[in-house]
Amino acid sequence: MKILEFLTKIPRRIIFLILAIFVIFPLFYPLNLTTKVSVRTLDLFKAIDNLKGEKPVLISIDFDPQSMPELYPMYISILRHCFSKNIPVIVLGLWITGVGIGEEGLKMIASEYNKEYGKDYIFLGWKPGITAVILGLGRSLKETFPTDYYKNPLESLPLALKVETYKDIPFMVSLSAGSPGYGDWIAYAQTRYGVKIGAGVTAVSAADAYPYLQSGQLTGLLSGLKGASEYEYLVEKYGYSKAFKSATQLMDSQSFAHLIIMILVIIGNIGYFFLRRRK
Amino acid sequence: MNISLDIWTWISAILTLFIFSFLYGDNPFYKFAEHIFVGVSVGYTIAITWHNFLYPDLIVPVFKQGNLINLIPAFLGVLYFSVFFKNLSWMIRIPIGFLLGYGSGVAIPAIFQANIIRQIQGSLLTPKILERKDLLIGSIISLFGIISTIIYFFFSREQKGVSKILAKCGIVFLMIGFGASFGFTVMARVSLLLGRLQFLLRDWLGLIK
Repeated sequence: MKILEFLTKIPRRIIFLILAIFVIFPLFYPLNLTTKVSVRTLDLFKAIDNLKGEKPVLISIDFDPQSMPELYPMYISILRHCFSKNIPVIVLGLWITGVGIGEEGLKMIASEYNKEYGKDYIFLGWKPGITAVILGLGRSLKETFPTDYYKNPLESLPLALKVETYKDIPFMVSLSAGSPGYGDWIAYAQTRYGVKIGAGVTAVSAADAYPYLQSGQLTGLLSGLKGASEYEYLVEKYGYSKAFKSATQLMDSQSFAHLIIMILVIIGNIGYFFLRRRK
Repeated sequence: MNISLDIWTWISAILTLFIFSFLYGDNPFYKFAEHIFVGVSVGYTIAITWHNFLYPDLIVPVFKQGNLINLIPAFLGVLYFSVFFKNLSWMIRIPIGFLLGYGSGVAIPAIFQANIIRQIQGSLLTPKILERKDLLIGSIISLFGIISTIIYFFFSREQKGVSKILAKCGIVFLMIGFGASFGFTVMARVSLLLGRLQFLLRDWLGLIK
């Protein structure tokens, strides 16, 4: 009886300790579990991989440092994919606290591929008024963002001269941790201007994004750390990068954590079930 | 072991440990880190708003280019502060009115189109889906799930007979949906923990590659 009661009321600090041990162990001794790439990730990868020409991919940083473990590896992998294929990139953000992340990642990967600012990539930064920004890009990039993040007039940047509106952007990716995020890009850019959109989302919001795949409003979807790890795998498999795979390193720990949580849920239910029968 | 010598990595690591100390219980270290987080976020937001928006979109056009029309939205923005003065607080209705009018006008058709019309279209069994065997089964299950769940939420008539059976199927679909959401939530929270552990063990202590 006491054991059954204990199973239903395991102290939370013991659970934290067990979880910490099983999560840290694979970081020191990786199991290298195989990565199976989902169709959703493959669709997003192919959408970028099939791009040709000088038209840029637009990336929207719609997250803040709290969601970095899941979304930042996606951002880095997508940048590596684009730059290794010589696809120009324009980065902006709908979250004010994401500006620093966007700039840091862009600078780091651009220098890795010797890309030139203004010609191969532009960082627009952030502007308030989510709908006004998204709809504004459909009318004129230069009117919405007269200057980039560094106060350079857009007319002075060769890449910006090639882009007037969404019609010059063959694909965009919203890396989104909630609202504003991919939902706003779908409502205002995709529905109104027909922009082809892919999304990278935190796992917690992945279930909400799935209906947009079925309706064709999203071209592809990266879901949480798993999605990031799958994209890293594809970028390496197709020979675009051999850099360290940050999300992949965490996937063994993620699998262990899921296993522990499943076992704890089952143990708790067994304890509850037998206690209820005895009562 | 290749411990970091970067002071910012150390500050970041120590603040992470302060936040983690909440797992044991509320304490002054956690409170300290929490207050720093709030203060830094607000300060950062003000700085970015000034450099990315107020300066290039208001100060430069008005004072350097003589574009006085930008003073109108600026004045509307300033009216938000009228709430701090009892005699003038009614003026806050003006910018709120503009915001609500603009927001509703822009959002209602777009959201209706994106989240209702396109979603209904997406759940239909179109000839394109019927041709593709890989999509067909999933689409039929999805359509059945949508109909049975909507019937579960149909409260205008008593649910009996076929509608009761369908409503029960709707509950099953709802439970599967909740289960999937919970699973994703667990995955998300564990990912955040892993991100910090990776930072502590790799970037700070250099214990892992």
